[in-house]
Amino acid sequence: MRFTICAAKPEDCKDIARMIMELAVYEKMPDQVKISHKELERDGFGPNPFYQCLVAEVPEEHKSKDGHTKVGYALFFYTYSTWKGRTVYMEDLYVMPEYRGKGMGKALIATVAKVAKEQHCVRLQFSVLDWNKPSLDFYLSKGAEDLTAKEGWHFLRFHGIALDNLAQEAP
Amino acid sequence: MANFNLRKAEPKDVPDILRLIKELAKYEEMEDQVILTEKDLLEDGFGDHPFYHCVVADVPAEQQCSLTGYSVIGFAMYYFTYDPWIGKLLYLEDFYVMKEYRGFGIGSEILKTLSDTAVKNRCSSMHFIVAESNKAFIDFYKRRGASDLSLQEGWRLFRIDKENLLKMSAEE
Repeated sequence: MRFTICAAKPEDCKDIARMIMELAVYEKMPDQVKISHKELERDGFGPNPFYQCLVAEVPEEHKSKDGHTKVGYALFFYTYSTWKGRTVYMEDLYVMPEYRGKGMGKALIATVAKVAKEQHCVRLQFSVLDWNKPSLDFYLSKGAEDLTAKEGWHFLRFHGIALDNLAQEAP
Repeated sequence: MANFNLRKAEPKDVPDILRLIKELAKYEEMEDQVILTEKDLLEDGFGDHPFYHCVVADVPAEQQCSLTGYSVIGFAMYYFTYDPWIGKLLYLEDFYVMKEYRGFGIGSEILKTLSDTAVKNRCSSMHFIVAESNKAFIDFYKRRGASDLSLQEGWRLFRIDKENLLKMSAEE
């Protein structure tokens, strides 16, 4: 099946928001999605974008049963390692179930890698849920290392009230 | 010792920031892994599109450690990231106070300043990673209300290094 991978445009945000929700449902956390396509447009396409996004699109003749031609996305941003310098963090990678197995996931991550290389980034990081075996297998086959298993890294977060409480004590 | 000042890092602080980065790496027994130079830090933090932001803690001249002579004695490096579910986040990359200056509340003040920065910039959350062997740090953060998402939700951190990135980008 033919497909293209392109940089997202503001008008893609409705499709991206739809797919973000589909991925959240798969990750069993749909109630945690609090932003809509409006915030995505504001935060991704202003003078100071907070993320970059690639969209996988198929021709009209292969559109989904609901009429969508935008069938996958990768959302990423630049981060910084105090040891190595510029890095890329891939926040989301998703292809609609009926379009999997056709090389789109591989093409999306390869394009993220290409962008990373062009920006002189030394590594690509991302996180995966421990029960998500299909994704774990896919990334391990591409040479990814599980740093939580290997080096014991844990993700921590100050969120909501905990963040507000901490901020209130600021000098 | 009580007087210290937290401020936004300036280009002139870059040598001190690199010194503190290497000190922290030495503490983590990974000093040889720091390949970043002062030139990289200057270009990446103080150019047109900064990849990071930094706050430094400094002490007045009369309180400089007589052993080290340094006035910049702590730093925190952070940047803004994005969660497609909740929007902007602040990510705390590194956070360090020189050994001689610990126990005076400087670390706590740095964390509070960053959380204030997060709230003022409309961030829903402040994220960071900690090695599970570093129990002192994990307790420090949990006492202040942090949640461990690796334990709670099962998130595992992955990395693809440069060699494999180049292989993947050539496959496209």
